[in-house]
Amino acid sequence: MDIKETQNAPVSSENEVELSSRREFFKKSAALSVTAIAGTSLAATNALAEEKGDPNIVEEVPWGTKLGDPVTKNRYGMPSPYEHNVTRRNAQLLASGNWQASIAMCPIQDLYGILTPNGLFFNRDHGGVAHIDPNRYRLMIHGLVEKPIVLTLDQLKKYPSVSRVHFIECPANGGPEWRGPQFNSIQFAKGMMSCAEWTGVYIKDILKDLGLSPKAKWMLAEGSDNSEMGRTVPIDKVLDDAMLVYGQNGEALRPEQGYPVRLLLPGWEGNLCVKWLKRLEFGEEPFYAKEETAKYTALKPSGKAIQHFYPLEVNSIITSPCPEKPWTDLEDGEWVEIEGLAWSGQGTIEGVDISLDGGVNWQKASLKGLVLPKAWTRFSFMHKFKKGQKLLLSSRAYDDAGRIQPTVKEERSVMGVESVYHRNAVATWEVTAEGKVNNVQVIS
Amino acid sequence: MFKLSHKKIIATSAVAAAVAFAGCLGSNPDASSSSEGSTKYVASHTYDFNGKKVIDGGVYYPVVDGKRGPYYVNEQASRIAYNKGREALPVEIKAWDVDVMYNGPFPKGHGTVGEGEEIYEEKCVACHGDFGSGAANIGIYPALSKGNAYELHETLKNQRLNPDDDGPIRVFGSYWPYPSTAWWYIKTGMPHPHPKSLTNNEVYALVAYMLSINELKVDGEVVEDEDFELNQDNFGKIEMPNVNGFIPNLNGPNGTDNIRKLLNTPHEYGAKTLADGRCMHDCLKEVKVQHITIEQKNFLPPLSEVRDLPKEENGGGAEAKAKATYEASCAMCHDSGAADAPIIGNKAQWAKYIKEGMDTVYKKGIEGVGAMPPKGGTTLSDAEFKSVVDYIVGKSK
Ligand code: HEC
Ligand code: HEC
Repeated sequence: MDIKETQNAPVSSENEVELSSRREFFKKSAALSVTAIAGTSLAATNALAEEKGDPNIVEEVPWGTKLGDPVTKNRYGMPSPYEHNVTRRNAQLLASGNWQASIAMCPIQDLYGILTPNGLFFNRDHGGVAHIDPNRYRLMIHGLVEKPIVLTLDQLKKYPSVSRVHFIECPANGGPEWRGPQFNSIQFAKGMMSCAEWTGVYIKDILKDLGLSPKAKWMLAEGSDNSEMGRTVPIDKVLDDAMLVYGQNGEALRPEQGYPVRLLLPGWEGNLCVKWLKRLEFGEEPFYAKEETAKYTALKPSGKAIQHFYPLEVNSIITSPCPEKPWTDLEDGEWVEIEGLAWSGQGTIEGVDISLDGGVNWQKASLKGLVLPKAWTRFSFMHKFKKGQKLLLSSRAYDDAGRIQPTVKEERSVMGVESVYHRNAVATWEVTAEGKVNNVQVIS
Repeated sequence: MFKLSHKKIIATSAVAAAVAFAGCLGSNPDASSSSEGSTKYVASHTYDFNGKKVIDGGVYYPVVDGKRGPYYVNEQASRIAYNKGREALPVEIKAWDVDVMYNGPFPKGHGTVGEGEEIYEEKCVACHGDFGSGAANIGIYPALSKGNAYELHETLKNQRLNPDDDGPIRVFGSYWPYPSTAWWYIKTGMPHPHPKSLTNNEVYALVAYMLSINELKVDGEVVEDEDFELNQDNFGKIEMPNVNGFIPNLNGPNGTDNIRKLLNTPHEYGAKTLADGRCMHDCLKEVKVQHITIEQKNFLPPLSEVRDLPKEENGGGAEAKAKATYEASCAMCHDSGAADAPIIGNKAQWAKYIKEGMDTVYKKGIEGVGAMPPKGGTTLSDAEFKSVVDYIVGKSK
């Protein structure tokens, strides 16, 4: 294993949050607001003459001195054009030949909260994005059922609906980095995932009327796209929380997410959540589709590969700071929030620990906002920035299934470095003396 | 709002007799002092509908007091048998039910290695390379063979711990457990630009060809002869070296229970439990840091956290737009010459296209030619596509 550098853990007792007394609080916030003002003027030090003030304040701005757009413009609204750098991104390394059998990574560094805007949701296709005419959409359910049926989209929407917030993640998220870090970017290191509120129908509610045979052990789900992407699902998941979804964050699914209908298996590999769904067949034996043999099987050092490796295990990543959002502009002594995302496909996040020294010592972070099963969960930890101090920032999540993230070494000791999928070891950012943030791995 | 006090959890579980309830799961060392203890939902390691352990090793959220985890549910909705849609007709089921099971029966048809080679040269070689090798100038398309499958099978234990190590070879011959997958996938998903266009006989011929380039055996004999015919009767006798290379065994009546067992054994797949410990202090004796050695940064578009107006709106104009489209949709082949695409800026290569006249160049580009997919695989309008062609040609003459 090519170890580039060995370094000792920085000691970090001053990082304990000590906003204890009320008086302290006022003292500090007073100090902070002074820094804030100083900060603003600093940004434009040369241009800004004290007596003139900030032209963005003392002068009129163009958008305030003319009419804005009429409400008739942009009947489907668009993000501010200034946000154009917040986009999905691709890398040829992650394409199997062309941009149709490829992946677009979600800019998780730029997201707020736990819901991903539909236009930024990560997208992995095997034969391009299909564009389905909803009027010609048909869903067939057949196999080991007494009554095989065909549903139109309107008929599917007549079942009682269910809305759930769940992440979808490609099991190869982080997979290019089994042998070491490769991307100095959170978007590429961890952006094969997103989280949305999905609306659809529980499959178990549809099955009630179809006479599912007790012999049915598996369900094939197949898409109607170019690749006719298929996957086999065990019946247990079908009878638990499997859904056929048509809604995404309040609107129809986006074509990239399988418009008009995709399968949703909460917490399970994204590729199992078959898009552009056309067929569900119940059978006694597994189907061995291409994406559960050639790909999405995890090779162990024994030469045996785990097949049907369903759940995305407990995981977390610090989103701020990250390589894209460094700490190069912080002042010495400034309080800053270390923020991140934790998620588990096996249950609900129960807690997250933070380490500033690469995993020698850990402290408990706070969870923030909604904490939902099989959904992104925000965590937060306050840090007093010290200029010139090198840090190794890690997060470690655990869930109500009783699972906790392993270290890189622990995970590699079982899975080796060739398994491609399901890497959930603790991730680490190196913060340099200049406040830059680099993707590294702690391998001891 | 989502809080469930421990008292309430216990009271409910006593009422819901069918619910195999597990309450406080895991052994969080400081659960009692932690504020997160209160975010726990009623969860169980066992399903209430079949009494078995949760198949993925995680937890199940039963409906308790009208709620499933944090979500309120309409319990009546899941008790009704809905009679929606209409019965599927046999002819419709036949049209869509074209998957091929590992244990047969196999579709009717036949084809020889020689026939397969011809079809391969015509419809597959542009992407998958000579003899399925994923040829060097293409590289990024999957290889269908790397040589003798039985020898390559031995590589599956390889681990690339040093930069020069050879990794495991995971191609059809050395890795796939069943050939039925190849038949089914080629029939429904290949050739990539025109899937579902091959007849059963053509698919048999292509799989026969794949057997020959992977030097696989059928019924004890290595497939070498170009007259070798593969058909529905001998398909089941293909000998895949890695048929037993996957865990757990999913076939037969215990399939789902086998995967249940594996996924409920975390140490089998590198997972860790709170029972293994949640070390808080002095957890590592030393900190060894691995940095990036070869940085991958060929990102499209390049990373940027700048908030400004996009170039077009700044007056970059049509050329900037064509360039951006080129980079997003064409560069992958035309920058590198992948799939033998003419390289941008290479005047000699482009001259032979340009001399056919620009109308022909546009037309062929729009309709697709050789390994060049129609419009380069984009959904650009004709006019947009032509502007990108103009951009390429402008740089190449
Ligand atoms: C335009 C390029 C192109 C052509 C032509 C093409 N393929 Fe493919 N093929 C691909 C891509 C891309 C993939 C990977 C798809 C994915 O990622 O799911 C693939 C995957 C495959 C695979 C699965 C390989 C693996 O190990 O995962 C097989 C088998 C295959 N193709 C067979 C064929 C055959 C047979 C033909 C000719 C009839 C053909 N292909 C023509 C692009 C092509
Ligand atoms: C998958 C690889 C690939 C992509 C992507 C691709 N091309 Fe091509 N292109 C080729 C190949 C290969 C050829 C040569 C075809 C031949 O000569 O048989 C080609 C040829 C062409 C030609 C010459 C056509 C002729 O015969 O006169 C034009 C024009 C062209 N490409 C434009 C584009 C544009 C514009 C894009 C992007 C919108 C694009 N290509 C994307 C592979 C590609």
